[in-house]
Amino acid sequence: MAFLQWRRFNFFDKEAVKNPATDQVFDLLKDVNVSACTSGRGQLVVGDFEGNLYFINRQMELTAFRAYEIRVTHLTQLKQHNLLISIGEDEQGINPLIKVWNLDKMERGSPTCTRLTRAIPGNKPTPVSAFAVHDNLNFMAVGFENGIVLLFKGDVTRERHSKSRNVFEGTKRVTGLVFKTMGKDVILYVVTENSLHTVNITAKDAHMKLDDTGANPGCIVMTDASQDNQLVIGRPDAVYFYQPDGRGPCLAFEGIKLQLHWFRGYLIVVGKESKAMPRAPVLGPHGMEMNTVTVYDIQNKFIAYSAPYPEVIDVMCESGSIFIFTGDRKLYQLQEKDTQSKLEMLFKKNNYSLAISLAKSQQLDQDGLIDIFTQYGDHLYGKGDHDGAIDQYIKTIGKLEASYVIRKFLDAQRIHNLTKYLQALHKSQIATEEHTTLLLNCYTKLKDVSKLDEFIMTKNREVDFDVETAINVCRQSGYCKHALALAEKHEKHEHYLKIQLEDIKDYQKALAYIGKLEFEPAESNLKQYGKILMSQVPNETTELLKRLCTDYRPNDKPLIDQVSLDGGIGKIQKAQAEEFIHIFVNNAGKLTEFLEHMIEVQPASSNLVYNTLLELYLHDMVHEKVISARVERERKTLELLKNPDANYDIDQALILCQMNNFKAGILYLYEKAHLYQQILRYHMEHNEYVHVIESCKKFGQQDPQLWVQALSYFACKEENCKSQLMETLTHIDKKNLLPPLMVIQILAHNSTATLSVVKDYIVRRLQMENDQIAEDERLIKQYKEDTEKKRIKIEDLKTSAKVFQASKCNICSHALELPSVHFLCEPHSFHQHCFESYSENDMECPVCAPENRKIMDIIRAQEQSRDFHEFFHNQLERAPDGFSVVADYFGRGVFNKVTLITDQTGKGVSGTSTYR
Amino acid sequence: MSYAYLFKYIIIGDTGVGKSCLLLQFTDKRFQPVHDLTIGVEFGARMITIDGKQIKLQIWDTAGQESFRSITRSYYRGAAGALLVYDITRRDTFNHLTTWLEDARQHSNSNMVIMLIGNKSDLEARREVKKEEGEAFAREHGLIFMETSAKTAANVEEAFINTAKEIYQKIQDGVFDINNEANGIKIGPQHSPANQSLNVGGSGGNQGGNCC
Repeated sequence: MAFLQWRRFNFFDKEAVKNPATDQVFDLLKDVNVSACTSGRGQLVVGDFEGNLYFINRQMELTAFRAYEIRVTHLTQLKQHNLLISIGEDEQGINPLIKVWNLDKMERGSPTCTRLTRAIPGNKPTPVSAFAVHDNLNFMAVGFENGIVLLFKGDVTRERHSKSRNVFEGTKRVTGLVFKTMGKDVILYVVTENSLHTVNITAKDAHMKLDDTGANPGCIVMTDASQDNQLVIGRPDAVYFYQPDGRGPCLAFEGIKLQLHWFRGYLIVVGKESKAMPRAPVLGPHGMEMNTVTVYDIQNKFIAYSAPYPEVIDVMCESGSIFIFTGDRKLYQLQEKDTQSKLEMLFKKNNYSLAISLAKSQQLDQDGLIDIFTQYGDHLYGKGDHDGAIDQYIKTIGKLEASYVIRKFLDAQRIHNLTKYLQALHKSQIATEEHTTLLLNCYTKLKDVSKLDEFIMTKNREVDFDVETAINVCRQSGYCKHALALAEKHEKHEHYLKIQLEDIKDYQKALAYIGKLEFEPAESNLKQYGKILMSQVPNETTELLKRLCTDYRPNDKPLIDQVSLDGGIGKIQKAQAEEFIHIFVNNAGKLTEFLEHMIEVQPASSNLVYNTLLELYLHDMVHEKVISARVERERKTLELLKNPDANYDIDQALILCQMNNFKAGILYLYEKAHLYQQILRYHMEHNEYVHVIESCKKFGQQDPQLWVQALSYFACKEENCKSQLMETLTHIDKKNLLPPLMVIQILAHNSTATLSVVKDYIVRRLQMENDQIAEDERLIKQYKEDTEKKRIKIEDLKTSAKVFQASKCNICSHALELPSVHFLCEPHSFHQHCFESYSENDMECPVCAPENRKIMDIIRAQEQSRDFHEFFHNQLERAPDGFSVVADYFGRGVFNKVTLITDQTGKGVSGTSTYR
Repeated sequence: MSYAYLFKYIIIGDTGVGKSCLLLQFTDKRFQPVHDLTIGVEFGARMITIDGKQIKLQIWDTAGQESFRSITRSYYRGAAGALLVYDITRRDTFNHLTTWLEDARQHSNSNMVIMLIGNKSDLEARREVKKEEGEAFAREHGLIFMETSAKTAANVEEAFINTAKEIYQKIQDGVFDINNEANGIKIGPQHSPANQSLNVGGSGGNQGGNCC
């Protein structure tokens, strides 16, 4: 039974109020016969049975004035206005008077009375038993002994415009009246001795009965907003809470209640010492009965203070403390302790949960709360309640250094708890990498796969941990799937592939994954892992590479993406095939396939691609044993070589072909490179006469020397190759490639070549040369004659006179008239005017001038070209007969010094030039 | 918050069976290992949705102590549903069920939906009352039965919601007179004007249709 109560604490300091003037116990009300008390706006107000009102201010100074002739019965101090409303009697037997005092306006030591109204319900005079004023100053309710409640509506401070009406008529004394505002409605609680009602005075006085039991006067109070403004009624069995629509909870505080008061979330109950209590009622000084004042914290459910007082007259809550006015006319002040000391008391009793709720209700700051949680956690930890402790520590996350908690639980090997803490840490997004690592290690240590799943795999969750760390930890501890899922989710391609390939060895998946990536990552990853993939899943890898190197788009991407829909041209992304060749190590077949594909779709591939492909072909070809397949391969190789797009490196290709002894290829390449000599030599080395002749025929146009070579080749041959020799000779003869002496010299090397072979050739040759000589001699003779003629002519001009007897002008063909000009050359004669209009030069005969100039030009040209040594060499090389070129140049006077002699004759008479 | 209906519940049963914890779990979704004795009657509320309707549950958590019986009894009246709770690890709490049931039937309206709850199902190791026994008792007295754990929250939600469903069904069936607040059912503020006017002449039979 004794435990059927809340926990009891002492959160209030009791102190007897002292008179500041005398520093003695406050005794100024010693002789006052108190009838009513109220308080508000910093002062306590007491009324007595003599009609006096006493005011006690904060400094405990007392003032008083006489308000009524006979007595004061009820007092109400409004909270928001400095108004005191009192009910009392001025005359015996006459209805009580309501007086409204304006405490701000003092008039001769007493406040002004702004209103004076008689309280009469109907016409039967009865004493007032309850009284309430609404804070909006618009409603005032007065309850009477006979059960009637009178409501005054209108400004309470003035009598004018104030109307009164009966809003309730009961049978028993009205013991309490309380206003409550609910939105627009104002509700009046009416408590009588045997019932409880509400009257909605703003809605036609709608009346509702809440309960069949009432309450004694004084046992009615209104809670503050923290408890929803409920009406509290104290009855012997319990304290009941009411809302306008009905009864609410109750608190079974037993005992007869004398008064209820409300102070800042505390319910103050003044009760008689319960009979059930072990102590007998104790009589106070002067034989007064002792009452108990108990302060309940309704929200946190504990007793904040409880102590006996002698005959409590009233309890007033003012200026942040509780004043208890006792029967011995003493005033006690209960001062609430500060939150910190309250909490310390609770800590001492290890009552942390209460401390927490108290701290919350007192709006303690966050740091304070954290401190409590920490202490609570430490306490529970100390008790060995690790589960409980971790719950508390979790609440400290963000403030308390996480390592403090972690170390505690790490040392104690409480991995479960640690896990929970770390999870919470992650949830609040303040976990560091180390925390993630630790948490994952915990999971793996506990082998708690489901939790791990939850932590890692949960979809659409914000990532509250460091992904890379998580991946690494999972991987290290063998939870590859998780690591994989993480990597995939967070697009850590490197990690994903590393795990997939190195740990799980699921190459297909890895490949598929790469296929889904965007271009750049796909390319770089394939470069990195291509080798492994190729060795494991060659086919798929090759396919992927093909895609990558042509027109890559991720696997899961729609064929037509937004860019192309918008009309833009999607960027074609392709990798360079040659960069992937190294991947195909040890897998020539696939490489061939890949490269074939590449050159097919993309003929402009780099030469590396072609070179490699060629090499592969050759390699295959050489190692192919079956003849038919080999032929096929040769055909393919040659095709490749002949492909005009094929951008291979000829030198390299040549080396390759030679290494692999691929004849057709070699020959083709020689041909392509215009290395006809090489072709010939190749044939010679292989002693293929037919081919030698053929290639000579084929390429003889481009390089006649081939024939010469062929000749010496055949000449060196010991075996019989007469026919070839014959043919070669014919060609040499035809093109006059070699002087006969050389031919014979060459053939002399051959022991088998007989004279008959060359007989025809030599005979024909000698014949030809004879003819040539004869022709030359003839020419020499002719030239000599010409020269002689010219000499004679010159001599003539020099020594004998010339007769000008022309009768016609050589220009206009008219009869020659004076003045005229005559030239020695032909002789030519002209009219002077004709001469002047035609001639460009006074010295020259206009008729002979063009001819002369032509000859002069030739001479000059020859002289000039004499100095062009390069040209000379060229000519020498190109000429079938070098000697003639040299002779020609000699003829042009290569070795001459100045040869041009210009003979100048007098102007106007004649002009001619010497020549040779 | 607007609601279509308000149902009034009470939670009864011996002291220490976990009545307050059930309520706390249902309203606040938390569990308090050290819970003070309930002195008197406490109160909690939560919104639930049944059949697409918002229903406010007003739950009265009573003190289990014998000495408070007279106070708690006064709260039986006007409850539409009751959770009768016993502790599966204490047989005596199961044995007292009959008394509680009689008490409840006597002080509340006869249509009240009673859900029998064997709480602390997480303490399987210390079980004293078999599940079958609970089922049998419920069958015998026409109650709904469920084992719950306020600690792990197992079945707690279901216990309250199933009770509400049962009440809702009874309203649909016209068993409850929804305009009599003594039945523990209140029509929500936005529904009341229309329904009240409709129900002036109607009897219980067709009330189910009115609320749609």
